[in-house]
Amino acid sequence: MSNDFLLDVRNLTKRFPIKGGLFGREVAAVNAVNDVSFKIKRGETLGLVGESGCGKTTLGRSILRLIEPTHGEVFFDGVDITKLEAEKMREMRRRMQIIFQDPYASLNPRMTIGSILAEPLEIHKLHNGKEELKRRLYQLLDYVQLPKDTLNKYPHEFSGGQRQRICIARALAVEPDFIVCDEPVSALDVSVQAQVVNLLMDLQKDLGLTYLFIAHDLKVVEYISNRVAVMYLGNMVEVAESSELYGNSKHPYTKALFSAIPKPDPSGHKGRIILEGDIPSPMNPPTGCHFNPRCWMSSEKCRVTYPEVTNLTETHQYRCYHPIS
Amino acid sequence: MSEKILEVKDLVVEFKTDRGVVTAVSGVNFELHKGQSLGIVGESGSGKSVSALSIMGLIPSPPGKVASGEIIYRGKDLLKAPIEEMRTIRGNKIAMIFQEPMTSLNPVFTVGNQIEEVLALHQKELSKAQRLEKAIEMLKMVGIPSPEKRFNEYPHQLSGGMRQRVMIAMGLACKPDILIADEPTTALDVTIQAQILELMKKLQNELGMGIILITHDLGVVAETCDHVAVMYCGKIVEKSDVQTIFKRPQHPYTKGLIESIPSFDSTSGHAKGRLPTIEGMVPSLFDLPSGCSFQDRCSHVTDECRGRKGSPHLKPLAPDHEVSCFNPIGLT
Repeated sequence: MSNDFLLDVRNLTKRFPIKGGLFGREVAAVNAVNDVSFKIKRGETLGLVGESGCGKTTLGRSILRLIEPTHGEVFFDGVDITKLEAEKMREMRRRMQIIFQDPYASLNPRMTIGSILAEPLEIHKLHNGKEELKRRLYQLLDYVQLPKDTLNKYPHEFSGGQRQRICIARALAVEPDFIVCDEPVSALDVSVQAQVVNLLMDLQKDLGLTYLFIAHDLKVVEYISNRVAVMYLGNMVEVAESSELYGNSKHPYTKALFSAIPKPDPSGHKGRIILEGDIPSPMNPPTGCHFNPRCWMSSEKCRVTYPEVTNLTETHQYRCYHPIS
Repeated sequence: MSEKILEVKDLVVEFKTDRGVVTAVSGVNFELHKGQSLGIVGESGSGKSVSALSIMGLIPSPPGKVASGEIIYRGKDLLKAPIEEMRTIRGNKIAMIFQEPMTSLNPVFTVGNQIEEVLALHQKELSKAQRLEKAIEMLKMVGIPSPEKRFNEYPHQLSGGMRQRVMIAMGLACKPDILIADEPTTALDVTIQAQILELMKKLQNELGMGIILITHDLGVVAETCDHVAVMYCGKIVEKSDVQTIFKRPQHPYTKGLIESIPSFDSTSGHAKGRLPTIEGMVPSLFDLPSGCSFQDRCSHVTDECRGRKGSPHLKPLAPDHEVSCFNPIGLT
């Protein structure tokens, strides 16, 4: 049973201390990720959405231990990776990769695409000799539909969409099981966005990949994901299958988030929920439910304690005292 | 149809670069009516921002140059207007807000100060006290809570949404005829984007200004604009009222753009299959194919499009609907 889940995150918390004063004492702290638990099945895509500062990127990086989590456990294929030593962790990282948002910043401008793609293979000693390496590099380019002469070129010779394909090829080089996609299409033009989304979906099918897909664009996330989790100020407020989340959102924040998206249909103006106010600072979140100052459903109770997780169905959980019926 | 306040005719903008002269905008025509919103949509490099900057007379020169065309504002060609006259129009009659509210505000002055500056420049008859009062009134109008307190704050003390509100307050301080908004909500979160778009619509109703909204997000256009112009490689490829363009797009590029947006419904993406895409990528402006610029990515391409007859021009298909295509999709 436990084998069904490739990733099992339990009570993950990341707290960034803020130092100040004369002796660099800790004066405050930001709970960027607050007691978050979730699982991802093999071959599944879990979408993670939320607005800036909600902790979605921190969560993605903590899972790979690119940022050390403060508390909590991350079981990857049955192994708690938060307890692994550096050497073992490096081996494990071969199986878990990340694609970043900005394809301009994440490729070294002085390296050819060939050496960029070969580097992970060399670090993990995954090839025997030049011939095999070359064959592997061609195969990687083939996965992401780039021509063979790409290998001798430099990053600046490519457009944003092509660079993101190169980043995807680099992540695939070490044959990972799991990829964290951190806003992989946000920096791309609309027509190119769709190409990259399709590519990621095709690769998942062909290579049996598991994704954590982080984005602020709900439309893309809903499209690519089997399940979607919504975060607000460090907490996971709702998670459900993507069609269920759209059709039957329980948390008022999820509802507002969906309703805020401009729809490309000029005749279909439905009642929009315009949230009042800004996202509070995560340094100083409101007491009780963090969403209560902007929530139109909030009551006395919401201002006192944070609601516990309610299991609506096996796949649909939310944290709210006043779920939308 | 209400009064026409701005008309752009055959605008051509060129930039000199190391690799030769590049035509960022080649022969663009559009008009704006009082109290209406025109959306200019396109991908990066399509010339949408350059068109807007030319209206403001803000094309950096050199390397840029408005090579030909006319920009007629209330009967006067802005391109021929002397610099002094342009200064009295820019920021006063025609105002612009930009995408990145952090870089467009001066970090060393309070936001109140910056709004006041606009008034000091354009409404010299106001006294200091009147300007102060008016600046606070503007902050209140754009929905900033406790404006008297915010007046003395610096841009870094405000959130992204608040900064964009300040930008709007600055833009509207002189009650302009035209507001040009270049990707005003792209840097903002969706719930904040909804607030800002709502605010712009409300202020438009109150002040009756015309808005030119530049964006890459068709959803934003569908919700806020009356007319739409779609740009590709420096040209307008399709132009119509907002209903028509979404219901019956005629240019294959417009249709492709609309279809490539994932839509919400009860089935998830995995059930829907692949997203429709536009194959290939935007060609380099240095190296445009002869004929139609979109030919290599087009599903409707014919020999005529690749032909030597030159590129297609905007032609009316129906009242208020123009398309620049040799082989439009047709009404079926």
